[in-house]
Amino acid sequence: MKDIIKMIVVLTLICVASGLILSAVYDVTKGPIEYARLKNVKEPAVKAVLSGYDNDPIKDRIQIPIGKDKKGKTVNLVVFPAKKGGKTFAVAFEGSGSGFGGKIGVMVGINLEKKDVTGISIVSHSETPGLGARIVEPQFTGSFKGKSLVKELTKEDINALSGATFSTKGTVAAVNQARALLDKYRDKMVQGG
Amino acid sequence: MALMKEFKKGLWDVIPPFRLVLGLCPTLAVTTSAENGAGMGLATTFVLVCSNVLVSLLRKVIPSKVRIAAYIVIIASFVVVVELLMQAYVFALYQALGIFIPLIVVNCIILGRAEAFAGKNGVADSAADGLGIGVGYTISLFVLGGVREILGNGTFLGAHLLWSSYEPFTFMVRAPGAFVSLGVMLALINWISARLEARGRNAK
Repeated sequence: MKDIIKMIVVLTLICVASGLILSAVYDVTKGPIEYARLKNVKEPAVKAVLSGYDNDPIKDRIQIPIGKDKKGKTVNLVVFPAKKGGKTFAVAFEGSGSGFGGKIGVMVGINLEKKDVTGISIVSHSETPGLGARIVEPQFTGSFKGKSLVKELTKEDINALSGATFSTKGTVAAVNQARALLDKYRDKMVQGG
Repeated sequence: MALMKEFKKGLWDVIPPFRLVLGLCPTLAVTTSAENGAGMGLATTFVLVCSNVLVSLLRKVIPSKVRIAAYIVIIASFVVVVELLMQAYVFALYQALGIFIPLIVVNCIILGRAEAFAGKNGVADSAADGLGIGVGYTISLFVLGGVREILGNGTFLGAHLLWSSYEPFTFMVRAPGAFVSLGVMLALINWISARLEARGRNAK
């Protein structure tokens, strides 16, 4: 009987200690892990759409709660601000639209003063290879550059892909969604930095 | 001196993938490049040293009937620590090693050393043993990864090494190449040690 109690006590203590240590390490590494993830996954897209900044947009990111998902968890819009001399002059964040094969995620860079597109980069898509998938090509994404977002964008404004109408529309819709988000949360995006 | 002996045996006498022939799963899977091999080796070394020290400290407290469970909890905790740290500070390596980081938990070398050595010896000896085996393992993975990277990709640590017309022998960085290079190295090491042994006998 004494043996059994000793086993239980020792094993319990080891597990408790392990739990405590792990939660402490988790707390310490939580921030750096999120940063490392964004840096590796999102930074290439952010770099492709913004330029001329002297800050680290990944480090200065702003989280804006924009709603709740089905489980009641808050959904955050992550905004990457581009600053020069401490002043935010452009922002980049993701918008999405429905393409032919599913959601198209587009990183959109927007100049705040002129309200035009500084560039877009396709972050995720599941379009048909050779047809819709051509939306990732610079020939297509480059045609968004400099387009004004004062009014909604239509596919006449850009270099639409022939044979990939849905993919083109999806990308345009994603940029328009980004435009709507900008109108709604502009104050937060600017004052956040 | 005894500490030195415990450390040095891991470098040749019981060098893990070749002599103990343990821990082969990560050995085969991650040695597609020298960098991945060394990273995996270092992660394993960290876990091995920490778990050896802790197991040795607790060896008189842990009842022998639940020792395996206790060892595994200790090892698993250190593995999660390594995983979180790698994710935070060396993300690219973390992505390259992928599933094989959490799988360090079931790496036989670590449980094997806890059971065979740390559970019976003092803290300093166990630390030296863990460090020796770990360094031996790291060197093995580094060399194996280096050989495969040079032959299979024409690069070493990411830098181009061979002449430009060299056609990479892609077979070497695929799974079968892992088996072949491991086998060849095993044979080589056995041959060398057989020679050394014969020379030792003749000298007498």
